[in-house]
Amino acid sequence: MGVVRALAIETATTACAIGLVDAERAEARLLAADRRHVEVLAVGIESLLADFALRPGDLGRIVVDRGPGLFTGLRVGLATAFALADATGAGLVGVTSLELLAHGARDAGVRGRFVAVVDGRRGEVFTQSFELDEVVTVLSAPAVERPRDVVIAWATNGVAVTFAGDGVARYDADFAAVPNGTVHRLTVPPVLCALALASREPGPVTPLYLREADAVANFTTRDGA
Amino acid sequence: MSVVLGIETSCDETAAAVVDDGWRVRSSIVESSIDQHRDFGGVVPELAGRAHVAMIAPVVRAALEAAGLDVERPGLDAVAVTSGPGLIGSLLVGLAAAKAYALSWDAPLVTVNHLEGHLYAPLLERPGLAWPLLTLLVSGGHTMLVYQRGPGDHEVVGETIDDAAGEAYDKVARWLGLGYPGGPPIDRLAGEGDPNALALPVSMTGDDLDFSFSGLKSAVVRAGERRPDLAPADVAASFQRAAVEQLTRKLRRALDRYEVAGVAIAGGVAANSALRAAVREIATSYGVVAHVPSLALCTDNAAMIAAAGLARFSRGLVSGLDASADPNWALADVL
Ligand SMILES: [Zn+2]
Repeated sequence: MGVVRALAIETATTACAIGLVDAERAEARLLAADRRHVEVLAVGIESLLADFALRPGDLGRIVVDRGPGLFTGLRVGLATAFALADATGAGLVGVTSLELLAHGARDAGVRGRFVAVVDGRRGEVFTQSFELDEVVTVLSAPAVERPRDVVIAWATNGVAVTFAGDGVARYDADFAAVPNGTVHRLTVPPVLCALALASREPGPVTPLYLREADAVANFTTRDGA
Repeated sequence: MSVVLGIETSCDETAAAVVDDGWRVRSSIVESSIDQHRDFGGVVPELAGRAHVAMIAPVVRAALEAAGLDVERPGLDAVAVTSGPGLIGSLLVGLAAAKAYALSWDAPLVTVNHLEGHLYAPLLERPGLAWPLLTLLVSGGHTMLVYQRGPGDHEVVGETIDDAAGEAYDKVARWLGLGYPGGPPIDRLAGEGDPNALALPVSMTGDDLDFSFSGLKSAVVRAGERRPDLAPADVAASFQRAAVEQLTRKLRRALDRYEVAGVAIAGGVAANSALRAAVREIATSYGVVAHVPSLALCTDNAAMIAAAGLARFSRGLVSGLDASADPNWALADVL
């Protein structure tokens, strides 16, 4: 298979990050850590492409984190990816924030049971468990849970486990208290891992919200303008 | 010849349009998520955001194709996008997409104020219209009188001090059990009722050009409760008469004060049949031209955003790819 020039877009957490790979090298860039996704994303892509002496039309793949995570940031990343893919003809590949954390942890040397924990606000986290060795094996479906329930479940089953993600950072005292648990410092789903998944079959990408909009709506409305 | 793509996602409509510098609308696509909001009695931001992200690329592609342009090489002069006012989560979807298109096509980005966009509707139907204009901009979120010397040169001369006219329609419709949005059902029902059935107080009789609609809704409810025998059609007709009466009284007052060549209405409430008829009548009596845009140009659309963007682009007002959205961007603050 030929070299794929790929761009990765990561906006599922409060951080905004991008990555680019071509035949020679791969580079990741953290653009902002404070939810200013819409202000930094397009400018960041423009300058990263320029540093590689590439134009948007040179991209073969766009890999985007489709969630779960913070809805507004996710949509900034997805809208950017959808428009870029359409306008350049690049193939679109969707990955999840949870699998990126798993791949990132594996690349950092973590082995065995691993739980990715992304902050979902409202006192909840998005989680998924994996087995990490030579490959990343999915053990459960992405879920939305209360951090305390995750902690109790793992402390009770006693299996050695590693946790990572900004959900762990937010509830660090809880996760640090699991006697059979280890906290890994990875919080932002790594874009280099997203680039490594760029050879996946491209196709339509849909957001992974894990929460119904009706529940989110909470009857907060604004009359039409 | 300049050709501009417009993108609009400030509320529940995902819209894209292509307009050229002859003020010709080459294509205009509007997808609304309104059906998802009806049960909530108003637009739910999270539902609107989800619909926008699902629809934005297909809508832009459809607008380009309908204009005979290739999505990978459209040859556009600029990409215009609404960056406020509106729902922040909705604005961000359109803005993010617009930046990505601008970057991909190497075209300048032009951020547009949604309310300024509404002011361009008359121009798209009468490219050679005579200035200045007095425009009554009425929607679910805004009610104002705008004096326009020309494209991009406008001054807000009157504004609601509380609710927007469209808000009053929605509230009265809710009370009558007519559902959301309230404008169309009230307009329909009013046609079958007696506009003099309910005596409603006349508000804002002062000399200024401002509006107030919060008292009108309460007055309707109070009067309706005193007379439970009244038919809903009579309540709707009486309310509509009072609402249109206030809007047109201020429009007349403004016409007494400003020398203009025409009067225009814009915004969602400009689709109201009674208001359209009244504005035509006023224009005739003052000997000025009435600009009453087609319904598709009154309600939210992207052709008006492309047109405003075109005017800004021709004045050199382009934005950087670092532009942000402003959910509260006032028309008076537009440069
Ligand atoms: Zn509007």
